[in-house]
Amino acid sequence: MVGIIMYNISAPAGISIEGYRTLIIVVMAIILIIFEPIPLPAVAMMILIMQVLLGIETPNGVAKSFMSDAVFFIMGSLMLAVAIISQGLDSRLALGIIKLTGNKTWKIVIGFIAISAFLSSFIGEHTVTAMMMPVGLTLIKNSGVDNRSTAKLAALILFSIAYGSAMGSIGTPSGGGRNVIMLGYMKEFGMADITYLQWMKYAYPILLIEIPLAAIILWYTFKPRQLILDSAVRKLKIHVTKRGPMRGNEILTILIFVFVFLGWVFFSSKVGLGIIALMGVFLYLSFGLIRWEDLNRNTNWGVIILFGAAVSLGLHMKDTGAAFWVADTAINWMKMISDDVSIIRWFVAVVLTGFLTNLLSNAATVAVIGPIVLNMGGDTLVMGFSTAIASAFAYLTVVASPTCMIIHSSGLVHKSDYLRAGWKMFIMSVLVLFFISNFW
Amino acid sequence: MKFLIAVGSKEFSEPTLRVGLQVAKAFKAAVTIAYVGPKISEFSTSQVRFTQERMEEWEFDRPGVEVLEWAFNFLAENDFITPTTIEAGFPKNTLVQTGGNRCEVYLQGTVCKDVNLILRNGDIIAELRDEVRRGGYDVTIIGGSQKRRMAHDLIQYINSSIFVVNKYDKHQDYNLLLPVDDSTHTPKAVKYGARVAQAFDVKVNLITVSKTDSFGEGYTKASQLASKMMRRAGIEHEHRFQTGDPVEVIKKTAGDNHIVVMGASTKNPLFKFFTGSKPLKVMEDCQCPILIVK
Repeated sequence: MVGIIMYNISAPAGISIEGYRTLIIVVMAIILIIFEPIPLPAVAMMILIMQVLLGIETPNGVAKSFMSDAVFFIMGSLMLAVAIISQGLDSRLALGIIKLTGNKTWKIVIGFIAISAFLSSFIGEHTVTAMMMPVGLTLIKNSGVDNRSTAKLAALILFSIAYGSAMGSIGTPSGGGRNVIMLGYMKEFGMADITYLQWMKYAYPILLIEIPLAAIILWYTFKPRQLILDSAVRKLKIHVTKRGPMRGNEILTILIFVFVFLGWVFFSSKVGLGIIALMGVFLYLSFGLIRWEDLNRNTNWGVIILFGAAVSLGLHMKDTGAAFWVADTAINWMKMISDDVSIIRWFVAVVLTGFLTNLLSNAATVAVIGPIVLNMGGDTLVMGFSTAIASAFAYLTVVASPTCMIIHSSGLVHKSDYLRAGWKMFIMSVLVLFFISNFW
Repeated sequence: MKFLIAVGSKEFSEPTLRVGLQVAKAFKAAVTIAYVGPKISEFSTSQVRFTQERMEEWEFDRPGVEVLEWAFNFLAENDFITPTTIEAGFPKNTLVQTGGNRCEVYLQGTVCKDVNLILRNGDIIAELRDEVRRGGYDVTIIGGSQKRRMAHDLIQYINSSIFVVNKYDKHQDYNLLLPVDDSTHTPKAVKYGARVAQAFDVKVNLITVSKTDSFGEGYTKASQLASKMMRRAGIEHEHRFQTGDPVEVIKKTAGDNHIVVMGASTKNPLFKFFTGSKPLKVMEDCQCPILIVK
């Protein structure tokens, strides 16, 4: 309905007819993704079909823009996640955490946040959350007599995992598909060619500052009755030591991932992050560490198709001038507040990205917002990085990211808990990002 | 016959399950108990499912299994499942995935052969609607949800009779209130009403309400038939003709000590959406359980 109305209204001044039609698709896609009246792959197909039917691009042009290294990366990283999680490395992880933190609850919380953040900066947030969840739940289950007495502890531990993983995903390009989408845009638009280490140099300090701040926020939001988890830790140790020493396939899994990581660090500029991720998947399959049937069953193909379509739409927003027109219009509005828009521009980009990521999905947000932000002027590097990083501020809603959904599926955290802790996390993250963007 | 009982939680669904099973027993119906867990965003379905599979390796049940286990224990305590099934305990290991967001477990029943427990995730209305379509249920039994809108939507969109177990108190003495008029669904409602009255061993109050002082031939015939059926079934009953707004009269008569059984509206769904219907209006405000027969 919205699409039909927009189509019948004449295009505003300053935008080409193709650009306006691209914006119609953007608006329709955002509405359909938020309210989910039709399946997500259907939204993806609508984007692709409409680009051709509305005369924005030829069929071959749409097909070319649909597949990129960023989409390869998203596909590869989802498959790597399945391969890694399947090996049962969560038990090893549990032992590592407990050795580091001991049995004091506050230390365990910091440990959960720090380890989730560190790991997710390399292997993606939902992989880490999936591995940390059983560890966290074992502690929760063994620390109280009923659900009521452990409610705050459950929220504290589960949010430490989810928010720690979300924060960590900004640390390196491979932390999340959205980072790769933004890198792809910057390279495609001829604005910058950033290496893996350059990204880490900029983003890791944010992560390191956020870890203790997040621990403080979560502790004071969900202060638990249980200050020592002695018995729970002991039971966790008993559970994980049952698995015995590390097996060959676990060692091989880690070695292949180290190989992939080194590939990302040293060769991604030449080969691409996506291709290296696919090389990892190839090795896991070839060594028989995972079966194709399992990869196929546990990979969210619908999301991959949607991200491909969103990236295609983003590229056409740039090509048709739609992104420039939206950016220009936004800047003109900002100038009504102040002639110097440098700070307002930054805040608008970051806060808008942060909010949209809580409603859409982080990668879809960057795919759509990215081309607009990169056309807003100012330092494109700062704007691009800040937007990609702000897309990790998925703290406010259950649907914000798979990590939020995974902890919610445990039935131990309520929807209202996300807002209780999330708004503090959101403001803290925006301020830390502002500080680093301006002074680092 | 096939009954679907939708339960929400261990804390609040005990009356729904108790009443549902009592009615199902009277009908000798096959029973399916369904729990619908929260909707998983499409962006996260694979990741959530995969995480839950991992958690099962750590001996954690997937969320919702504890509700099914509670339903199993309830069935066992009330002898709805066979002693061998009870002895074997809740068979969580035989919970079979029968769709992306649906899994089920089969139990051997005593009153009827099959008792199924189903776990689903998603939008509750969409999931129950799908379950009714899939299982071809005759009656869907739901709790009197605090969210009145949900019960309202279920009645509108589910293609089976709906029993809303609203504010049921097991210590209260109930009668059965059966509004009778010349609508298409009244004969079926009378049949169902007789069975429910037998199940709870209660008296039936038949009521025919007209907006004017005169009662047409259709109303009189329907009420005579209803009385005849009650007499034949040996159910204690009385019949009253009243004048006034049917919805108001039914609500007032029902109070909080009746189980209302009435036929569904035959109005066009679109018209019903905008203007409502008698059963919907009664259901929205009444303070007692209500069965709307389709």
